[in-house]
Amino acid sequence: MHPLNWAIVVGWLGYAVSHGIRRSKNTKELEGYFLGNRSLPWWAVGLSVMATQLSAVTMIGTTGQGATDGMRFIQFYFGLPLAMVILGVTLVPFLHGARVYTAYEYLERRFDAKTRSFTALLFLLSRGMSASTIIAAPAVVFSAVFGWNLWWCVALIGVPAVIYTMVGGVQAVTWVDVKQMFLIVGALLAVVITLLIKIPLSPNDALHMAGSAGRLRVFDFSFSLTNTYTFWSGLIGGTFLMLSYFGTDQSQVQRYLSAKSVNEARSSLLISAYWKIPLQALVLLVGVLVFVFYETHEQPLLFNPTNDRTVREAEPAKYAALEQRFHAATSLAARDSLRTAAYELTSTVTHQAVKDVRKADVNYVVPRFVIGFLPIGLSGIFIAAVIAAAMNAISGELTSLSTATVIDFYRRWIRHDAPESHYLIVSRAATVFWGIFACIVAKFAVNLGSLIEVVNRFGSFFYGSILGVFLLAMIPRARANGAFVGLIAGMAAVGFVNFSQPDVSFLWHNVIGAVTVVVVGMALSLAQPQAVEAARAS
Amino acid sequence: MTNQFKVTLLRVLAIQVITLLLLGWLQQHYSA
Repeated sequence: MHPLNWAIVVGWLGYAVSHGIRRSKNTKELEGYFLGNRSLPWWAVGLSVMATQLSAVTMIGTTGQGATDGMRFIQFYFGLPLAMVILGVTLVPFLHGARVYTAYEYLERRFDAKTRSFTALLFLLSRGMSASTIIAAPAVVFSAVFGWNLWWCVALIGVPAVIYTMVGGVQAVTWVDVKQMFLIVGALLAVVITLLIKIPLSPNDALHMAGSAGRLRVFDFSFSLTNTYTFWSGLIGGTFLMLSYFGTDQSQVQRYLSAKSVNEARSSLLISAYWKIPLQALVLLVGVLVFVFYETHEQPLLFNPTNDRTVREAEPAKYAALEQRFHAATSLAARDSLRTAAYELTSTVTHQAVKDVRKADVNYVVPRFVIGFLPIGLSGIFIAAVIAAAMNAISGELTSLSTATVIDFYRRWIRHDAPESHYLIVSRAATVFWGIFACIVAKFAVNLGSLIEVVNRFGSFFYGSILGVFLLAMIPRARANGAFVGLIAGMAAVGFVNFSQPDVSFLWHNVIGAVTVVVVGMALSLAQPQAVEAARAS
Repeated sequence: MTNQFKVTLLRVLAIQVITLLLLGWLQQHYSA
């Protein structure tokens, strides 16, 4: 990498860490450390909510998806604005008004300790693993593109985030998120402008080229339980997913618990309601324009440099023949079919599934463009923005993992009455523990490609079910046993659907889980008083 | 539903409809 790019990346990391530490005030008490004394302004909280959701996968994977599959991924977010409005009148006032540290703490007040501990444990398991995948995804790309040692890539992303999160808690996380959101959006806009300059077509013709290749196809109105990217999956399944994520996941709930008031918490969520879809459109547009750029320039047959090198060495004659035909091909369809043949050849050589080879290749489309074609300086800014996105997501997860560990387990079950200073030491230690855990698992996650998918699938088992428990919490007649048994039933229902109908999209798992929990939980809760009365009468 | 909720809901829905119409136009105009 060019020294100027290095200077930009290192300079930004230094700025992020020092800014996070500088903006942390009154972190000598738990409320200051975990919730910023509930005094953060709504716009900062709102940007932090968006930043936590936008990880390096968005910068690398989603842009790549825009280049290879077009804009249809945006349908995934169609339920988000509606979910934000619903949360604004349901869970946000409940959670903010209860003055809790974690969403799960509220469940003990409403139901019982076992429901709280079980949901908090599910959160720790799923988020602990997903924190590692957040680091692993960009680390493996950096390692392959720059030839850096993988441990070094993991440390480059993980260590700065751990430092400022450990020292400054949620305030450091929020204020660094705000600054990094500006860097990320600025970098995306700069790349779009550069692409429009570099593509030898007018913007209108470039969009016509993308459109004729199907890259601007946004809407698919077919109703399919197996396709994640349709209008109905996004609107219905997406609403439930976003309700679960923003309403019950501590990594998001903690953001708006730190707002000054319920109204400010609501306003912070509405920033996502207004801006998430346009932001995602910008991310995908980068990919679409990179596609047009490659259509007007010579492009590699395989974007993944590791696979390119491996296949070139193992099957030089076959690969050279494919490459020659690829460069001579005059139509997009011909190039697509030759690239598929290259994926199959890679699959034979590396013993990976063809779909995994294809999926991994997508992640290198934009990084290869950034390294090969962006001007020096701008490429450094984009790389800094990818690391910033990873740090935003990881810091949000670390602070929420630490909060749930200390509040829902350590303070609840191990030491109830220790001084604040003791809990603070434990909280900082928990942040460092989860940071090291995420970095170590990230190192091994990259060698177990399917682990990321396993983690996502595991999360989808109970995401909707936890939402169901929170929905029950808002129904006055719901009882603790109903909620707990409903939670188990919801997870069992999702597990059954997952194994009996593996093609059903995970978006629908949330709907199945939430509905099962509410139905079973209410049935048991309504039956409970009658059973008690019958016992009394007898 | 409170009035404030209705206003917020309408505002968010209006913005979403405008966004979807723009995306629809992008698809229709450039895919032809």
